[in-house]
Amino acid sequence: MKQSNVDLLLLLLAIVVLATPAYSDLVLSKVERRIDVTSQIARVTKTLKVVNSGSESVSEFILTFPKFLGNNLAYLSVAQSEGKGKSKRTLANLSVEAANPKDIPDSISVYSVALPKPLDKGDTLTLDVIAAFTNVLQPFPEKISQGDSHLVMLQESAQYLSPYAVESQSLSIKLPSARIQSYTNLDSTTKLQGSELKYGPYKNLPEYSYSPIVVHFESKAAFAVAEKLVREIEVSHWGNVQVTEHYNLVHRGAQLKGEFSRLDFQARPNPKGESAFRHLLARLPPRAHSIYYRDDIGNISTSQMQSDSKKTEVLLEPRFPLFGGWKTFFTIGYGLPLSDFLFASEGKRFLDISFGSPMLDLVTDKLIVQVVLPEGSKDISVKTPFAVKQSQEIKYSHLDIAGRPVVVLEKDNVVPDHNQNIQVYYKFSNIHLLSEPLMLISGFFVLFITCIIYTRADFSISKSSASYLAKLQWDEVLATLQEIQSIIQKCLAAHDKLEASLRDLSRTGDIQTCKAARKSTDSLLKDLSKEVKPLMAFLQSSQSASHISPKVEELVAKEKELQEKLMAKHTTVVEGYEKKSSGRDIELRIASQQQKIAALRQEVEDLLEFIDEI
Amino acid sequence: MAAKPIASPIPVAMYPTLSVFTLAIGLVITAIFFIYEATSSRKNRSLAKELATAVVASVFLGFGSLFLLLASGVYV
Repeated sequence: MKQSNVDLLLLLLAIVVLATPAYSDLVLSKVERRIDVTSQIARVTKTLKVVNSGSESVSEFILTFPKFLGNNLAYLSVAQSEGKGKSKRTLANLSVEAANPKDIPDSISVYSVALPKPLDKGDTLTLDVIAAFTNVLQPFPEKISQGDSHLVMLQESAQYLSPYAVESQSLSIKLPSARIQSYTNLDSTTKLQGSELKYGPYKNLPEYSYSPIVVHFESKAAFAVAEKLVREIEVSHWGNVQVTEHYNLVHRGAQLKGEFSRLDFQARPNPKGESAFRHLLARLPPRAHSIYYRDDIGNISTSQMQSDSKKTEVLLEPRFPLFGGWKTFFTIGYGLPLSDFLFASEGKRFLDISFGSPMLDLVTDKLIVQVVLPEGSKDISVKTPFAVKQSQEIKYSHLDIAGRPVVVLEKDNVVPDHNQNIQVYYKFSNIHLLSEPLMLISGFFVLFITCIIYTRADFSISKSSASYLAKLQWDEVLATLQEIQSIIQKCLAAHDKLEASLRDLSRTGDIQTCKAARKSTDSLLKDLSKEVKPLMAFLQSSQSASHISPKVEELVAKEKELQEKLMAKHTTVVEGYEKKSSGRDIELRIASQQQKIAALRQEVEDLLEFIDEI
Repeated sequence: MAAKPIASPIPVAMYPTLSVFTLAIGLVITAIFFIYEATSSRKNRSLAKELATAVVASVFLGFGSLFLLLASGVYV
């Protein structure tokens, strides 16, 4: 801002002061202003005591700033408070709107505050105003070399500019250090105490009183500005909120002219490079996990993390220190547990998450927040404590059919005071969660169906060639073999049952059950042998099975022999029990049979194995 | 009314264990399926048995791969 601009403004205001009538009947009985310029943002805190000295009740309060400040206003909040000092209570925040009344000149930005209830005649009201301005700390000189210190300039008014008469007002400016280049010494009320500059108190000022002051001081704050910040918040109902932030950072302080010497920068004991900043501190929510910090080149390892139960602090160091005018870009990402941020109320779900960047003392020129909600979310609405520009998009991500709805919120000129929580409301039923595993299941099922079709389909080109016919026959032979195998297995199982019944007999002595078991096994074996006959016939007739059929015949014959021997043994044992002869006699009688049975059994099993391997 | 926090239907700490078990069972059933395909002859194959095994195997494999994705950090 040039000095001539301010002079012009002063002239205009002088005219205005003489020409404008009293705006309304409100009188500000006491105004205390504190300006904090310790960081790159000028934060103004005003406490106004408003008295209605007129006869009508007033429901609107006009807040004004000179235009060169009002253009850079990033954040404004007005609250009504009561009490003094320790008992100060903040009542509701009041709604503020930019207004344009016709009897106020153009060089003033106007904001209209709606009072909660109309202020009657004689009543007083205390208002707390917090305003944050960006770009009002002008670096002066605008280009410095590496070793110079960073000096900035603030232009303000010692007397409070307002359309109401002011009875008493004071101003105090808190500077970052006691190193002040120069300041406007208005009159005897100006005092400099350490790093605090005080003007006032001034009494009985008319409306639109304005006296410009300039403070030129050294600032060591990091003038980090994100030209563009894209913040993507992806909600997954499987338990995670993933935040990815893309930064385009620039140093908006005094520009570096001349060269950068790394040697001077790292020289001890007097390093040159006070105007640069190296670190950025980001304060993330507690229980943030999987934090990464990278850029287009790859991972950036110069970062430190410290977490406790209230917050996770990440200290990020870009690849090079940032001097005035230098830019860098990087991406950070982290995951957050779902139950800390997603809540259910009145049939809807809402996501309660912070809006701005988690970095401390970062000003964002253009902030874009994209909230990606899971597929199947409906009735999406957003609630923010300040104005943002909203729009909706679709994003296609993992396992999506129709895409995920994205709410895009845009805001310009964002300061850390905007880092409050926003709420995104939507409706979602847990059934839609199932669509993702269903997609995976159907994918695997298609693979299995392909296998089934492949094994069943006939891909041979010629259906009458010799090899094809031979293959067909061999398939049939194999099928018959398998059937015979299964029948023989069933026979063997029947033999086992017989043996078991004999063992039961020796334990319990119950002859009748034994006989019954033998009868049933007998009939079963007869059925099985009937089934085997046609299969054997087929095997003998087919040519391709000529080398196997003798073996199979042998198998069947052996099995029959085994059957007969077992039956004989069974009868002997039962007779022995009926005659009540001693156990040893029975054993002697069946001893030889037992040996033969065991040998036959072994041979049958060997043959079965042989057939298996074909 | 007070807002209730929403969490995942399955506790997040169980994702790795669940993925190992469901994938193991799914792979065993896949093995059973392929063994049946290889050893049965064309005449004796039963479509019902094949389809049943395929359905059960694909359910277990589907859930197993989902939990594997979630356990490795790709929150689909």
